[in-house]
Amino acid sequence: MAAAETEAGGLCSGMAGAAGPAVDEAGAAAAAAGPAVDEAGAEAPAVDEAGAAAADEAEAPPPPLPGLQLVQQGAEARVYRGLFLGRAAVAKLRIPKRYRHPALEERLSRRRTAQEARSLLRCRRAGISAPVVYFVDYVTNSIYLEDIVGSITVQDHINSVQQSGNDTSSLLTLAEKMGELLARMHDEDLIHGDLTTSNILLRPPTEKLDLVLIDFGLSFISGLPEDKGVDLYVLEKAFLSTHPDTETMFKALLKTYAATSKKSGPVIKRLDEVRLRGRKRSMIG
Amino acid sequence: MAAKSRAGAPGAGLRHRCEMDFTHQLELFPGCSVTLLLFDHVKNAAALRKKAMEGSIEGALINPAMIVDPFQILVAANKAVHLHKIGKMKTRTLYAEIIFSLSPNNNISDAFKKFGISDSDTAVLVVLVVDREKTVNLEDIASQVEGQQVSLDELPQLTDAAKVKKMYKVTPQEEKIGTLLDSIVCRMSTKDVL
Repeated sequence: MAAAETEAGGLCSGMAGAAGPAVDEAGAAAAAAGPAVDEAGAEAPAVDEAGAAAADEAEAPPPPLPGLQLVQQGAEARVYRGLFLGRAAVAKLRIPKRYRHPALEERLSRRRTAQEARSLLRCRRAGISAPVVYFVDYVTNSIYLEDIVGSITVQDHINSVQQSGNDTSSLLTLAEKMGELLARMHDEDLIHGDLTTSNILLRPPTEKLDLVLIDFGLSFISGLPEDKGVDLYVLEKAFLSTHPDTETMFKALLKTYAATSKKSGPVIKRLDEVRLRGRKRSMIG
Repeated sequence: MAAKSRAGAPGAGLRHRCEMDFTHQLELFPGCSVTLLLFDHVKNAAALRKKAMEGSIEGALINPAMIVDPFQILVAANKAVHLHKIGKMKTRTLYAEIIFSLSPNNNISDAFKKFGISDSDTAVLVVLVVDREKTVNLEDIASQVEGQQVSLDELPQLTDAAKVKKMYKVTPQEEKIGTLLDSIVCRMSTKDVL
């Protein structure tokens, strides 16, 4: 499906949370995704995939689902599509990292899987669109989720709209919807941890701008404006680097975010501060 | 949706197969299939419940009022079979585990009370898990139920949506983003992570 092509473009590939790898080692102790680490992690996927594919072929056999196809192999997990219990489903099988100490590997893998499941439930309870969890396997740390059939990533959508050259006003509406969605998520004190345009899906029909958040593998609960600010910063960096000339879009996103979220003041303030940090930023004055 | 997957021989000995049965092979456990039989106008619920507690009847006897779709049962059965295979069931039998998996909380006796059948019930949903090696005679089981077997298509008519919503504590915001089944399944599958 369309979502499969996203791995070619963008520095943060979608559903597998490939931006994760560098965070793994640093994140193991800190358990937080920071913007600087995120970008460093972007280079890792290419290297990891080659290594991972060779080393772990025997380790995690694909699930025997009918109609199985590999959607994506990120550094974190292999994502498959298939029929599960008669429904279109996505299976995320975590790739074991052999360079880690086995005890750490087990614990980290389990924690990520549990966090993902927990966050997805939390989203749904709050009325935030996210895939339904069908089954969590704590032995292989794999998760079976609802497949949003016919969906495309916001990344692909923006690219196609920009290429076709018309109706850029719809992109502003899209940005507003994104801002609203993120505001509601942050108001639940849920930090996504890997916000990119390939981790937000558009349910068909695309014109309805019905958004679905995916890939909560790096998510966590926090009420701190710092964490929410960083979450938005990650999205901003991913946005502006993947999609040229979208500054107005992101501005609209933030505007709606500020208007929708009850606790947005400190978050936006923090975001401004975080922007001053980042990579290749002088912290003088 | 009463999809009938009769292809191949899911359970070596599934006799008395008819259009009203619902069978699905568990993808993750090849050779293992789940069959659902729905009965209405049941007169001997009390006797059946006793048999279930004694373990003298094959299958999980479930109150159809708490079930919105066969998928709900499949999710519970899949989880139960998984835990059974790795020896991590919370209850003592596979069928008890299926009933427990349906519950949104971790209270086993509560699960039986709410999802199992009670003496006054007039409808019963029988869930069977059949392995390749085992032989299960559906005719046998069906004959023990003093009631009329009906198609799984009639399940929605037997569902008590209000009761289900209350049991699973479905929030009003949730209802906007998905079906009741979505909310239920999510809670069932993430129950042990919380």
